[in-house]
Amino acid sequence: MTSIAIEGVSRAFGSVRAVREVSLLIGEGEFFTLLGPSGCGKTTLLRMIAGFAELDAGSISFGARRIDRLPPHRRNTGMVFQNYAIFPNLDVAGNVAYGLKARRVEAGEIARRVEEALRLVHLEGMDARWPHQLSGGQLQRVAIARALVIEPEVLLLDEPLSNLDAQLRVEMRGEIRQLQQSLGITTIYVTHDQEEALAISDRIAVMRGGSLEQIGRPDEIYRRPATPFVAEFMGITNLLTGTVVESDGAGVVVRVGEAEFPLGGIAAAAGTPLTFCLRPEALRLLAPGEPVPDGWATLAAKLARVEFLGALTRLELRLSDGTALRAALLDRPVQGIGESDVLRLAYDPRRLVAFGAP
Amino acid sequence: MRSRLPRDPFPQVVTAAGFAFLGLFFIYPLYGVLSASFLDPSGTHATLGNYAKVFASTFYRASFVNSLTIGLLATLVTVALAVPIAFALARLPMPGKAALLALASLPLVLPSFVGAYALVLMLGRAGFITKALQALGVPFTSIYGMPGIVLVYALTLYPYVLLPTLAGLKAIDVSLEEASQNLGASRWRAFWTVTFPLVVPALLSGALLVFIETLENFGVPFVLAEDKPILAVEAYKLFVGETDTNPASAGVLGVVLVAAAVLVLLVQRRYLARRRFSTAARAAPPLIAVARGWRLLAAGWSWGVVLLALVPFFAVVAISFLQFRGPVLYAQPSLDNFHDLFGRSTQPLVNTLLLSTLAALFAALIGVPIGYVLVRRRSALTAVLDAVATTPFAVAGTVLAIGLVVSFNAGWLVLTGGWLIMVIAYVVRKLPFSVRSASALLHQFDPSLEEASVNLGVSPAATFARLVVPMMLGGIVGGMVLTWVTVASELSSTVVLYSAPWQTLTVVMFQALEGEGPGVAAAAASVLILFTLLPLALIYRLVRRYEMSLL
Repeated sequence: MTSIAIEGVSRAFGSVRAVREVSLLIGEGEFFTLLGPSGCGKTTLLRMIAGFAELDAGSISFGARRIDRLPPHRRNTGMVFQNYAIFPNLDVAGNVAYGLKARRVEAGEIARRVEEALRLVHLEGMDARWPHQLSGGQLQRVAIARALVIEPEVLLLDEPLSNLDAQLRVEMRGEIRQLQQSLGITTIYVTHDQEEALAISDRIAVMRGGSLEQIGRPDEIYRRPATPFVAEFMGITNLLTGTVVESDGAGVVVRVGEAEFPLGGIAAAAGTPLTFCLRPEALRLLAPGEPVPDGWATLAAKLARVEFLGALTRLELRLSDGTALRAALLDRPVQGIGESDVLRLAYDPRRLVAFGAP
Repeated sequence: MRSRLPRDPFPQVVTAAGFAFLGLFFIYPLYGVLSASFLDPSGTHATLGNYAKVFASTFYRASFVNSLTIGLLATLVTVALAVPIAFALARLPMPGKAALLALASLPLVLPSFVGAYALVLMLGRAGFITKALQALGVPFTSIYGMPGIVLVYALTLYPYVLLPTLAGLKAIDVSLEEASQNLGASRWRAFWTVTFPLVVPALLSGALLVFIETLENFGVPFVLAEDKPILAVEAYKLFVGETDTNPASAGVLGVVLVAAAVLVLLVQRRYLARRRFSTAARAAPPLIAVARGWRLLAAGWSWGVVLLALVPFFAVVAISFLQFRGPVLYAQPSLDNFHDLFGRSTQPLVNTLLLSTLAALFAALIGVPIGYVLVRRRSALTAVLDAVATTPFAVAGTVLAIGLVVSFNAGWLVLTGGWLIMVIAYVVRKLPFSVRSASALLHQFDPSLEEASVNLGVSPAATFARLVVPMMLGGIVGGMVLTWVTVASELSSTVVLYSAPWQTLTVVMFQALEGEGPGVAAAAASVLILFTLLPLALIYRLVRRYEMSLL
């Protein structure tokens, strides 16, 4: 098992700064995900680790060993490519054996390890198949077996599931996670799909414009986004900006229209603007006369639209000044309300996350 | 501070070797021709006198005008022949499209001067068709001169326009025409406002290649021009000279010829090649349902042109098995011509096989790594290498050969009189095909395949040998066979470079044309056609994709 230390790494392509001074420590056996929209530098960073992109500055080490000056074929990383990159001129066994032959492993040993790797990815008995006879999911498994069979120090996955259909994607990500756990291999996973990142990772780094926005466990990233960008990228639609109206040592109160939001644990002068977010599913619809849970705050908003999504019902609301607010209700009957009704909603103020001035 | 990866030496080595080879055997010889054209008769002082002398001569001015006129006419006729075929193949219902396309590619590799010679046998002064016509009272004398040359060019070069135009038509996504019609354009209007403009760059690009080919071709005008002066032929005559040689004037004609062709090539590259709209179509446009009359017309035109282009080659093979007495042909089957051809010596046959094989091998050995570096390791330097390596296409074989003789007949490296100089000329001339086809093949493989190999621990050079070459092997072999067949019938540099022990079949045919009689020439032509068709038939599948990629 290997830890990875990335220190002050930068890379520019012409005038575009693809990666800017990124520093990261990835622990032994950790499943670490680089998450961000296209063009955020996540793939470039991964390719720097594999050796396919040069560093303008900084260093990358596996354990105590600095590797950024090693040519890519000496780095002993196993990479799974977005399009699988299965060699079309070799059969399944030939593809999986490729890296072992390069390492001059003797033939009997190769056969044994290829078989084992194929068993690991549930492709027993497929060794003589040709790539063009395989489905997308099977090609994916061959790519994973080929990367794992060389017993790499680090497993690198570059959007490996983006070419699969939705159901297979969910299935494969579970398998990849399980495989990684059982082998305990340090893994870096690149994706733009936040749900995938949340489901699979030990930790996530959200990237934007070549820089790190936030690093943390999936639940931290989800519940306590560090910036409005992270909040929006993680699917939080209620990004509100208001004015601080009260301020004391314990926190502030922010007003948006007539609604007041108590935000604890931050300091800001009265009269200054403040941006914060509130997850739609943190809002609870109160029936008329229903008591407010202890310590919770309430607000009133006019209903604009109801969207029934099966398990979830989504409400689109307007605060008194017209600011849009969304609420998501899980498995709750919403009969008896109609458009233009003014609804009372309650939330736990600890679910409010404040950002610096926008 | 940049922490560079240790430089992977593979692209540097290939680029350096490519520049060394082309610098020594392409640029330096051309420089030799250029400097010869500027030297006074004593060979010591620079002068413009040679140019003044050549341009003062009405004869050489005429050669310039003739070459350009023939090129222009041939290009126009070629476009007129090929574009309807391309459209019919792409969009109209027609029987036997696959066969038609296969036959339509053949003229690219069949030796054009053999076609010219066949035309003489049929329509020359003593040609059997000429005689038949005269017997019927038609006042036809012969095909010699401009009409014959333009006809041969049009019938042998039309695939240069047909193939890219067809590819262009097929690459247009059906939704574009549908969008145009959805917006209110009639089908006719949609074609002229959307479809046609999209294929024009591909069409013009092919047309310019035709023009270049006509400029540099030596064999066709040599057979058909008679006393009409043509640049490529006059350069040869001045250099080889029956009375005395005149490298300075030959140099002037050579420089003019190369300058014109390279100029056109640059136009083609800069303005057209890049404007090809080659987005891969998700759905090719559907066939257009047309009335029966149109269908018949399309099939008749397409099959008519394609078969007509092959008639001369069939004719020459048939004629080679008939008896000649002097120049007169008798309708009597006989193997005499082949006896005459091989009776004296089979050495020319052996030489042809040997030299073609060597040239095909070296063209692949040099061209494939260059093609690889050009696609996968782009840099400012490789862009220059790309330009240099693909330019020999536009340089007349006679001029290159003259340059090689001028440069390597004395001094530290003497090559004249041997086989090596011939192989070098062939390799330089065929390098553009080799490089282009290797690049085209590589574009079909995602670079991540090589990255996957490197990631698994195989060094870049070993990845090239163990993964890239095996993946490309079909295409490389196809390319080598095409090089082989085109070298086997190469004439223009061979006639300048050959020495007595290294005569090839084309030389034998060339000499027979000049003196010994048509029987031997027909037999040699027949053998050359056999050498072209047989290997192609054997590897037909491999070659088809390659031919499309040449353009």
